[in-house]
Amino acid sequence: MNLRNFPRHFIPLFALICRLTLAIIFFYAGIEKIINPGDFAVAIYNYQLLPDCAINLSAIFLPWLEVFIAASLVAGIYTRGAALISALLFLTFATALTINLVRGLDISCGCFGASSGNISWLYLERDLSLFCMSVFVLIFDRGWRYFFA
Amino acid sequence: MTKNIFSQKLYPAFREATIILAVALFIAVIFNSFRSNNIPLFNFSSAALIKEQQAKIPSITLSEAYDLYRNNKVIFIDSRDPFNFEEGHIAGAINIYPDEVSLHASSLKTKADQGFIFITYCDGPQCPLSKETAHALILRGIPTVKILVNGWSIWLKAGYPVSKGKK
Repeated sequence: MNLRNFPRHFIPLFALICRLTLAIIFFYAGIEKIINPGDFAVAIYNYQLLPDCAINLSAIFLPWLEVFIAASLVAGIYTRGAALISALLFLTFATALTINLVRGLDISCGCFGASSGNISWLYLERDLSLFCMSVFVLIFDRGWRYFFA
Repeated sequence: MTKNIFSQKLYPAFREATIILAVALFIAVIFNSFRSNNIPLFNFSSAALIKEQQAKIPSITLSEAYDLYRNNKVIFIDSRDPFNFEEGHIAGAINIYPDEVSLHASSLKTKADQGFIFITYCDGPQCPLSKETAHALILRGIPTVKILVNGWSIWLKAGYPVSKGKK
């Protein structure tokens, strides 16, 4: 296994860093929520955006989706698909956060399970930064093959 | 050029995303059906949740709270952060975040001895701040504490007196 083009091209390297950062964040967030689906359902309910019938399904599905995105991003398999879902997820989270910040609700973020802090504009900035990273990965990622011959 | 980007990047991305979504949904549902602390797929009951919360802590209804307010027998404690408090709060309420209870304990105790009831509130049915402040007050020897669940929203909705600013 030989290192090729490393670190000559900055953009693919930065895309790789973004990809792995996103993977770590998604993995941690997903696992925290899988452990306690009931608490996460309550966190979703507190956002007051989804009907009751959609809350539990979201609480079951979303953590696993995050874990699968993390796995895809690390393995470099279906990376573009994972980056696309990641971007859409962060956009959704940012919208939900904005709506509730404007409403003035003082609720738990639920971002990393039940023990997350309360929502604030800082969390919105974090979500938007992660959204930008996802878009960057979607456009510029070259996969593991670019670095390893 | 646009067509090229779509066919090269976006179309495969959508196809891959669909596969990831389908696999994640399948695994999530299967895992949930086999785990011990599973939750039903569709039956989330917000009414049951609020009932459970109210059973655990002393709470008060909006009409009872308003009656006490009119008779000047109550002190409202806004448990939200100062920023939200300044944007709007129940008229006459004081802003005490759960961590700050110890700073106000002695003055509140004097008020409690005079027969005042304390009602804590924050915003949202599951907001933990009013509960935390209430527990902190009880811990410091102020027994006449109740919680107005989802207090700010329902008070505002009812059109009862509110004020803005630091006081």
